[in-house]
Amino acid sequence: MTKYVKYVDVTKCDGCRACMVACKNWNDLPAEPTEFLGSVQSHVKTTADTWNVLQYIEHENGKGDLEYLFRHSSCFHCTDAACEKVCPENAISYTKYGSVVIDQDKCVGCGYCVQNCPFEVISLKEYKDKNGKEYRKAHKCTMCTDRIDEGLQPACVTTCHTGAMEFGNREVMIQKAEKRVKEIQGRYPNAMVYNPEGVGGTHTVYVLAEKPSVYGLPENPKVPTSAVAWKDYAQPIGKMMLGATTMALVGAFVTNKLFNKEGKGLDENGGGSDE
Amino acid sequence: MIKSVVSKEYQDLQEEIVELQKQWKLDLDPEAVRPSLEDQEALNAGVPIAALTVIDFKNSLFLQWIEELIVTLERYNPELETKLAGIIGLLDKETAIRWMDEARSFNQSYFASFASTHGIEEWIPQFLAETTLRPYLQLIAERVQGEIHHAVLGAGCPVCAEPERLAVLEEEGKKVIHCPRCLAHWSAKRLECAHCGNEDHKTIKFLTIEGDAVSQIQVCEQCNGYIKIIDTRQYIEKPSAALLDLNSIHLDFVAQENGYTATREEKLLN
Repeated sequence: MTKYVKYVDVTKCDGCRACMVACKNWNDLPAEPTEFLGSVQSHVKTTADTWNVLQYIEHENGKGDLEYLFRHSSCFHCTDAACEKVCPENAISYTKYGSVVIDQDKCVGCGYCVQNCPFEVISLKEYKDKNGKEYRKAHKCTMCTDRIDEGLQPACVTTCHTGAMEFGNREVMIQKAEKRVKEIQGRYPNAMVYNPEGVGGTHTVYVLAEKPSVYGLPENPKVPTSAVAWKDYAQPIGKMMLGATTMALVGAFVTNKLFNKEGKGLDENGGGSDE
Repeated sequence: MIKSVVSKEYQDLQEEIVELQKQWKLDLDPEAVRPSLEDQEALNAGVPIAALTVIDFKNSLFLQWIEELIVTLERYNPELETKLAGIIGLLDKETAIRWMDEARSFNQSYFASFASTHGIEEWIPQFLAETTLRPYLQLIAERVQGEIHHAVLGAGCPVCAEPERLAVLEEEGKKVIHCPRCLAHWSAKRLECAHCGNEDHKTIKFLTIEGDAVSQIQVCEQCNGYIKIIDTRQYIEKPSAALLDLNSIHLDFVAQENGYTATREEKLLN
């Protein structure tokens, strides 16, 4: 199956925020009134109801000039996703296109994914059921997997009027990004392709005008060792242990029954249960 | 591909036929069609370019294509084997040329009478003729594409006269009408009826299907014409006009059930 990549060239973005609106519109997400942040930026970061946020960064470049930098920020859809690794319910999975999605029916709202995402894009939303009991679910960008299923590009890409975002075959998009960096290095000497290897590469690939840290991004994000330890070692071993315990219980039950059948220590009301 | 009302099997068959036609077109010598754009008067009156084109039909190719087409059809529907048997035998050189000519002028009654004379199902002769004519039409369209900038109102496709019923939105919202038959395409105004030229925004309306983010039907209250408009900017891969037309067939049903047609309708004035 073709792996797709959302290619974001931040140097072409004019900060119109149509991607944010398109996302809310397609995914039926409610508006979130926010406090004034001292800049044009509407939200501090992505939330459970705002899956992409346009960052506005005032940056002083090497020459002492002010650069106004924009970045469409949303889920990176990592190839080795920490959220997928830490999820104890296997609610997070990879699709055949390379996107990372959360199964809302399986999510128990534990928040491990929120804590472990190197890019801080996942958030929990609180709900109340009809009995007033509170519960939580994790939410983030799905890369519009429901649209990809129908052969359509993600809503944010479709709406981008400057061509800052494109969607397509992974290899083609990465080549495009590399070519673009060469073109803009005269104006942005620190320009780079952001497709971090520490998470196996991502399915949202950026051309950044400045170093990742300028955008508040980790220079070299990694899947936390504890996450690897949890998913690849602790969970299987735990299951093995559970299997062993269950076997022991079954064994004990069978032995007990046999013991009882022989009529030793049998109560009238049916065995050793403490009713 | 967008979910379609057309069954997957039929979509696959059509996709294969479109692929065959592409291959067949490559078999043709580009000089096998010689379109003439000299008669401006005829062109302005809406005579399709295909009617002003000299075509050298190659009988051997025609028979080979019919054979390939029959094999494909039978693979998808083995029941057709008996219905399609013996058809090749009926196609001498003269009949073949006649088929191409009649398909070019869309002469349904000729094909209906051919079918009844030879005791075959009515759809078969016209379907075979139309399918094998298309590579020629597509080659004509390819050769004159550079010269096609607009269509004559109410005359349909300037190359093959197929009624205009499919437009796509391309980059920057440009509306381009595509002919699903010969694959010619030309630009059109966003707010203009392709059939009667009406530009009055009060009488041009749009019908949309709930949950369908890419298509709309533009209808004209003046001439009762409609055209499907598909926003192909949203597609990951752009499908060919023929498949786009097939997969949006539900829009034709909706438009026609609401009283619109893909051709111009002269309204009686008081």
